[in-house]
Amino acid sequence: MTAVSALRQGLDWGKLAPLRLRAKTVADGVYAGGHRSRRRGAGIEFGGQRSYVPGDDLRFIDRHALLRHGTLLVRQFETETDRTLCLLVDASLSMSYRGEGAPGAKYAYAALIAAALCKIAVGAGDRVSLDWFGGERTVELATAGGREAFERVVGALETAQPSADLKSDLPALERAVARVERRAGRGSTVVVLSDLLDLPVGAELAIATLGSRGKTLSVARVLDPTELTFPFSGPLHLRALEGEARVETDAAAARPQYLAALAAQTERWSELLLSRGGSLVSLNTAEDPVKAVRQVLDSVGGVL
Amino acid sequence: MSFLVAAALGVGLFIAIPVAAHLLRRGRAKEREFPPTALVPAARSVARERATLEDRVLLAIRALLIACLAVIGATPFVQCSRLSLGRNAGASVAFALVVDDSHSMRAKAADGTVRFERAMRAARELLASAREGDAIAIVLAGKPARLALAATTDLNAARRALSDLSESDRSTDLESAVSLARTSIASVPHHDKRVVLLSDLAGGALSEGQPALWTPVPELATPLENCGIFGAERRGRRIAAHVACTSPAAAAGRAVTIVGDKSGTPVPLSPRAGVQELGLDLDPKLEHPEVELTGGDSLKSDDRCPLAAESAALGVLVAADLSNSSAKTGGPPVIEQAVGALEASAALHPIAVLPDDVNEYRNNALLLLDDPGGITPEARGALTGFVERGGVAVAFLGPRVDQTPLGATLEPFLHGAVHWDAKDNSDVNTASLAWLGPEAGSLQDLKLQGHADLSTTDLLGGRILATFADGPPFLTKRELGRGTLFTVALPTSVEHGNFPLRPAFLALLDFFLDEARTHRGAAQSVAGNDWTFPLGANVTIEGPRGSLAVQERARASGSAQKAATPTIAGRYTVRLDDRPEERVVTVDAAEITTLPQKPPENAAQARANAHPGSVDASPELGFLALALLALELGVRVFRRVTRERGAAAAVVR
Repeated sequence: MTAVSALRQGLDWGKLAPLRLRAKTVADGVYAGGHRSRRRGAGIEFGGQRSYVPGDDLRFIDRHALLRHGTLLVRQFETETDRTLCLLVDASLSMSYRGEGAPGAKYAYAALIAAALCKIAVGAGDRVSLDWFGGERTVELATAGGREAFERVVGALETAQPSADLKSDLPALERAVARVERRAGRGSTVVVLSDLLDLPVGAELAIATLGSRGKTLSVARVLDPTELTFPFSGPLHLRALEGEARVETDAAAARPQYLAALAAQTERWSELLLSRGGSLVSLNTAEDPVKAVRQVLDSVGGVL
Repeated sequence: MSFLVAAALGVGLFIAIPVAAHLLRRGRAKEREFPPTALVPAARSVARERATLEDRVLLAIRALLIACLAVIGATPFVQCSRLSLGRNAGASVAFALVVDDSHSMRAKAADGTVRFERAMRAARELLASAREGDAIAIVLAGKPARLALAATTDLNAARRALSDLSESDRSTDLESAVSLARTSIASVPHHDKRVVLLSDLAGGALSEGQPALWTPVPELATPLENCGIFGAERRGRRIAAHVACTSPAAAAGRAVTIVGDKSGTPVPLSPRAGVQELGLDLDPKLEHPEVELTGGDSLKSDDRCPLAAESAALGVLVAADLSNSSAKTGGPPVIEQAVGALEASAALHPIAVLPDDVNEYRNNALLLLDDPGGITPEARGALTGFVERGGVAVAFLGPRVDQTPLGATLEPFLHGAVHWDAKDNSDVNTASLAWLGPEAGSLQDLKLQGHADLSTTDLLGGRILATFADGPPFLTKRELGRGTLFTVALPTSVEHGNFPLRPAFLALLDFFLDEARTHRGAAQSVAGNDWTFPLGANVTIEGPRGSLAVQERARASGSAQKAATPTIAGRYTVRLDDRPEERVVTVDAAEITTLPQKPPENAAQARANAHPGSVDASPELGFLALALLALELGVRVFRRVTRERGAAAAVVR
């Protein structure tokens, strides 16, 4: 089963319906008082220009610049009430892993969570962007709002396929982080959905920088139940999906050390993110996605 | 070994296949993808896993399964340790199984199994190796030797006959059994004939002859240490226990006690082999007393013996005139001496005149009346009562039949006058006395001074059993009540001829004693001896193992009678026309003291010739293969379930 088909099977909007209602209720309550953000978009004060990306509102294309330079530029304005939700989804090869008994691949679960967050954000009137690291057929979506933006995000999530070995490709990750940095202004929320496995050295610092400059960063670590429990027995020959790591071991003997190493890694990520104003959420693909979305919402303060 | 056998056994080489498969798999745990592999440490135990086979249990089961299939393919050519019949060029075999069911076979063999069970197992194994066309006869060597199954090719009948056999306390009659076995297969057309002897070889000589003997279970003839009680009689307030031991070592440290008599003092055995008699004081309050031997030996069943209710001796009344019935050298009358010689344990009671009261016949079974001069009415009534109650009376008629006083007759033997015929050339028609055996021939050329002429006498419904050469009756028999009256037309006095000096006289007396024993029933007898009863009597017998069957049998003289054969030692209750009496059956002393003999030379030769045969073990191996297959499946399922449970438990943790 491919990741895409697994995703389609794993999507269950019916389960998320209560969450959407709750998100709308919360948004209505929060937005009633109004809040200022550094989000650029439709507004009064001119905030500069930037290159056009598919999905940008055509009303803001700077036609003068187009006629003068032949380049598509959009005009940006500062608004007072909108926020931006920036989704950075890990589509590396390790996200395609699905252990025995798991309902779907890690990517499918991450995509479901991302779509749900998008729905909530759009429902609250916020704008959403989507970026990737790793993966094939990925489509980066510029910041956009409304129902159309949600449909685009879902379409992009469905189209993408986990691929690429990022183990030794730190620049690719840094480029993705840079894109998010550009899109996410002060007050925006950045949600990273990744298993945080097989990432290149330095990936922790690169991702942690997303929590700086007034942004709210939440890293959702999506792991398979097999990865969380190591339920193997007897002699094992394991191979990582990214990189060249291969290990022969005895399950019973290795289990405690593995779990300790995983816990240590999680703790390291958590401390790093905390020091940069971010937070880490551990998700289990076998758990209810509604609960996972709530965890993410809680980690960003309950509102987007 | 033929090519087929080699090829079939070659299948066993396929054992290498599972071994190789396990070896190939042992170091290759299945590679699986696992993203956080970098967090998993390598473990040292992997090295150990590489050095061991993946699953030794499964490998062993699979290897055994293949070995089983190979052996199944090679059967029936594969030899087996159990007994079987070797065949010359595959020809059919006629064999007689001589199974010893005597008392000594109830002992335990060297390997701890009872000898009889070991012999039966050997017989079953031999029978299992028989094929269609083989002739089988089964002979039992317990005394008397019996033919349990005449030679037959019906293997099912042989199996049924074998399954009906049971152990007993009989004596051993090996010689007759072997002779019977040889005779039983003499007439079958098979060329290859054998006599298989399954015995401890204790009792009777083994005669040489053809077919030669084969003793396939030589461990049965291992000597054993044993002491046994072969009789216990009440003598007043004392008990005489008869004990036999195989060796001084067997008797050492053992004693005889009365069961349940705590105050009694055990009487120790003399440490010697053979028979010994020991006296014990009897507590009259004990009911059904029994004596037993202290200590233990290899044969427990003869360590206890019930006490005979009364004297077991056969009571014989002898009415003979000492003046003319004795030998010229003196001593008791000839007839008394003859009875004493034939039945040493008989209680002889010489009487001058016949009793007038029937009660005076109590405890006696036989009346021998020599040359009676007539029987008075009172004596006649008492004698009639004695006979009607089961007694046996024999009248040897002499010259005094001509001197019968007034009022006296020869009734109940005969009716009417009897004349003494003083001819000196009378001979007995030996042909008419052939039923007596070869001794009857000794009655030729008798030198007599005459004989009683019964030709004109009323026999009162009796039958003539033998005649003189010229026709008159020599021996008559009359049934009266439950008893029998015999009349012999010659006296026992040597003054009137040499009849008492001929072997036939002793044979006749033995016949009369046997009749008396038959009618009276011995209070104590040896296992295997028949108990006979009058045909019209209502008889039921309860023994140590329940009811004992009573059957009608023909007698040598042609008449019928009821008979039962107690084969197990112990106390029996016989109800004869609702009159109960206790009888005790014991083992023969010789059965205890006789040691196993070496098999004759030709037995060893026969054993050597009877090379170990091949046995078709396919059924057993087939079952084993199925069991192994089921075990292999079970182990695999168990492993899978255990693995899944382990994984589930790990997930929960």
